[in-house]
Amino acid sequence: MKSSANRRATLCGIPKGTIEGSMAEKFKLNDHETETLIFNRRMIVAGVLIFVLLSILVAWIVHLQIFRYDFFAARSDGNRLHSQYVSPNRGLIFDRNGELMADNRPIFNLTIVRETAVDLDASLELLRATINLSDDDIEQYRTRQSRRAVPHTSVPLRYQLSEEEIASIAVNQHLLPGIAVEAQLVRHYPFREIAAHALGYVSEINKEELAAMSEDEGNNYRGTNQIGKTGIEKTYEDLLHGQVGYETVEKNNRGQVMRVLDRTDPVSGRDIVLHMDNYLQAVAESALGEHRGAVVAIDPATGGVLAMVSKPGYDPNLFVTGISRAQLSELNKTGHTPLFNRAIASRIPGSTIKPFIGLGGLYHGVITPDTVINDPGYYRLPGRSRPYYDWTWWVDKSGHGAIDLRRAIYQSCNTYFYTLAVEMGIDRIHDYLLTFGFGANAAIDIPEASAGIVPSTAWKQENRGEVWYAGETPYEGIGNGIFQATTLQMAAAAAAIANHGVLKQPRMLRGTIGNDGEITDVIFEDTAAAKQLLPSQEQIELVRSAMVEVVNKPYDSEHRRHEGSAYPTLRDSGRPLEYPMGGKSGTAQVVQFQVDSAGNRDESEVPEEFRTHAMFIAFDASEQSRIAVAVFVENGGGGGSVAFPVARAVLDAYLLPRTETFDEVSALGSNAQ
Amino acid sequence: MASVNRQLSSNFYRLSSGPGAIWQSFRIDAPLVFFLFCLASYGLMVLFSASGENISDVRSQAAAIVVAFVVMLVVAQLDVHFFRRGAPLMFAGGCGLMIVVLFFGAETNGAKAWLDLPGLPRFQPAEIEKFLVPMLLACYLSTRPLPPRFRDLVVCVVIIALPVGLILMQNDTGTALMVMMSGVFVILLAGISWRIVIAGVVALAMASPAWWIFVAQTHQKNRILTFFDPYRDPTGAGYNIIQSQIAIGSGGVQGKGWLNGAQSQLDFIPESNTDFILAVLAEEFGLLGVLFLIALYVAVIGRGFFIALTAQDTFSRLLAGSIVLTFFFYAFVNMAMVSGLMPVVGLPLPMVSKGGTSIVTLMLGFGILMSIQTHKRVLPR
Repeated sequence: MKSSANRRATLCGIPKGTIEGSMAEKFKLNDHETETLIFNRRMIVAGVLIFVLLSILVAWIVHLQIFRYDFFAARSDGNRLHSQYVSPNRGLIFDRNGELMADNRPIFNLTIVRETAVDLDASLELLRATINLSDDDIEQYRTRQSRRAVPHTSVPLRYQLSEEEIASIAVNQHLLPGIAVEAQLVRHYPFREIAAHALGYVSEINKEELAAMSEDEGNNYRGTNQIGKTGIEKTYEDLLHGQVGYETVEKNNRGQVMRVLDRTDPVSGRDIVLHMDNYLQAVAESALGEHRGAVVAIDPATGGVLAMVSKPGYDPNLFVTGISRAQLSELNKTGHTPLFNRAIASRIPGSTIKPFIGLGGLYHGVITPDTVINDPGYYRLPGRSRPYYDWTWWVDKSGHGAIDLRRAIYQSCNTYFYTLAVEMGIDRIHDYLLTFGFGANAAIDIPEASAGIVPSTAWKQENRGEVWYAGETPYEGIGNGIFQATTLQMAAAAAAIANHGVLKQPRMLRGTIGNDGEITDVIFEDTAAAKQLLPSQEQIELVRSAMVEVVNKPYDSEHRRHEGSAYPTLRDSGRPLEYPMGGKSGTAQVVQFQVDSAGNRDESEVPEEFRTHAMFIAFDASEQSRIAVAVFVENGGGGGSVAFPVARAVLDAYLLPRTETFDEVSALGSNAQ
Repeated sequence: MASVNRQLSSNFYRLSSGPGAIWQSFRIDAPLVFFLFCLASYGLMVLFSASGENISDVRSQAAAIVVAFVVMLVVAQLDVHFFRRGAPLMFAGGCGLMIVVLFFGAETNGAKAWLDLPGLPRFQPAEIEKFLVPMLLACYLSTRPLPPRFRDLVVCVVIIALPVGLILMQNDTGTALMVMMSGVFVILLAGISWRIVIAGVVALAMASPAWWIFVAQTHQKNRILTFFDPYRDPTGAGYNIIQSQIAIGSGGVQGKGWLNGAQSQLDFIPESNTDFILAVLAEEFGLLGVLFLIALYVAVIGRGFFIALTAQDTFSRLLAGSIVLTFFFYAFVNMAMVSGLMPVVGLPLPMVSKGGTSIVTLMLGFGILMSIQTHKRVLPR
């Protein structure tokens, strides 16, 4: 109580006056030492506090720099060091004459490193205002981003920037963190649609493709944006792609590469040479004109595919950096499926099958070269009333009369082959046709090709769950039944006849080019097993010469219907052949025509898509045949009149001296670049 | 006490005749100047690296250091009693300047705290308050019996609150905090009862939830949340502290070598030449470099302690003690925040961070210290 009262008194500052003044002096003098003592004590407390605080700080720094050194050192390296993949240059594709059919061209892409792009939405908004950037682009970017596994790598946002766009991005670069313009080599097809289906194209790798790869393969594609999707590009992806390279770079906070610390160079893909002849390709392409269809030309001695055309075509360059929806619907708006490769799609072959059926008859001894049948204009199965008409029936209700195999081929007599087919039986036909590469994809390096259909009783049971009806067999003799073959198969089979009966499996690749420019031939041994049914030389020469007569046998003033089925067209062209040529026309019905009770059919006013398909197979008939070709013209009409000129143009271009330039023969003209 | 001093000294100085006599005649405290010189040189070296080998940055910093040393020497020539007598007037002038700033100040980083006078470099009047407040407090308390009574404390609080209020009105919380601390140090050193200190701390602790709910602004809350978990926003608020810790930790014992810090040279450390320069130092010079820096600070602070403890009167003691503790507080807060021991507050690392104003004000304080040390009155023999 006392002390508190004292304190209160002092606090109130009550003592005043002179006495108090002198007392204060004294008090202060006394106080001076206490004050010093108080101050010194407080300074010691402060010193201790400073010591404690600094000790904590030092302990903390020691903790960071010694005990967590490894952790932070790794974090620091993770900040600055980035492994990036260096994509290899894709191998080039040359045709047999050294023409560059697929090369690589630099383009400038807009890319994003997601980890560095701080405010992506704002950046995208700015980009939209500056350059041409569609919703589609952004959506595609997000897809790419979602499948990109490696962090801190750049993902393309838009391909092929124009120079103006590059400039306006450069101006705004400071507002676009993580966004850069990168140069990239991408595939370029200078001849565009000329060989689009054969070469195929590369396009962006998708998730499924990445998932299908083994770990090693997947690593090899870490730096690659595109992969072969179809055609040669897909088949020879392994050769063309090359080996990815790596580099370790140091990047700063803004993602700029400051130094390259370590680099393993990528290994470029192999350059490859095809059997293909670009000039021939262009000739075939323009010879088809406005028609849809396919042309395949093969070197009979090697099986090398000299030309493979499918029309309508498309510009494969559209796909390289991703085709937009608008472009895709523009492509498909005609409904004529330009992306579809008609050359390797199977169809009924029409009469072009007849030479092979004839060979089969000879092989099995069902007929001899001298076997003659009577053709009244139709065929009837024994004991049945249903007639199978010859084409002559539709002309004048008559037939070929007495006819042997040779004439049956060059006149394309149906009745002969109805008879032959029935006598051979479907199963022997089946076995024999396998010899010529039908019913399987005989091509060595065209995996996308259809196998076609060679029917048999077993096949029908298996695929249709039905027994084989006798009434079906006659149609197999004239190629208007179940049997289907691709244009490629027809060309290969024609080449086998040209090659005196020996089938060489079709192949695209001729060889690879080494660094010294030397072509290393890639030898593909034929793998086809079914060769035991080879015809004898007399048999093959008979059919071969009959096929020469298809084209060359002129009108016989004494006998009706003794001219070759393609001869009228040859004659009308006014240009005689300058080399021996064999061939066979074919016409395949698209729909069954209405046949009235009198056996008349109405072909008037048939819409284009219901017109018959025109076919022609042809070959260089010299001893050492150099080329065989198969032509398919969709809804073209008659094989002899429509398809034959196309086949001839191809043979002319290959066998005769070339007087026109590529640009002149190419329908694209000088547009090709 | 004043009259006693007057009697004893008769306005007569006697220089001691020891080896430091020459220094003292120039009013220079040799050890202090030496340590400060070492600190400044070390700082320049670090700054050269932290600024990306930017010579012009280093040159202007060096110029600021020269100016700062001159200011220090000039201030040291002034008698302590000049400060003591002038304290109320200077305090009033300082407050006046800050009021001027409120109306005519220039704005930087959201704080309207700068004065742009023609012919003078831009400066922040609030900076000098760090000395003016302790000066007036020391002046006032030296006339009062110590430990201070409650009434004295009320006066002290008013002296502190006036400039702090003005600085808060300029929207510069950091400086306000420092000015407040410089004043609080004086009161603590003056012997304020521990009970009051503890009561104050407890009151602050209890008030902090209220502060959090009602007063704290979003960015302040963020800083504190980020302190507890930098990874809650690793590319935003937490980025600075994460990168700075990576830099410090990856420095190891010996450091990556001068100009070789990956974090620093590749711009991963933000504000690497100002507030976060310690991260650069720790990365490039390692633990040894940090210990060397702390040793230099300890040397400066130790010398300051010596000056404060040997000062002759209460005013000098309180002022010197406050200056030293403020200096320590600066250095410690910066180092603790950069290494992640404390929430981020925008304070430079004394003598090392880039910034002329900071260095000149610091050296002004050391000038006062030297004045205290070299203007001792001794009895005639």
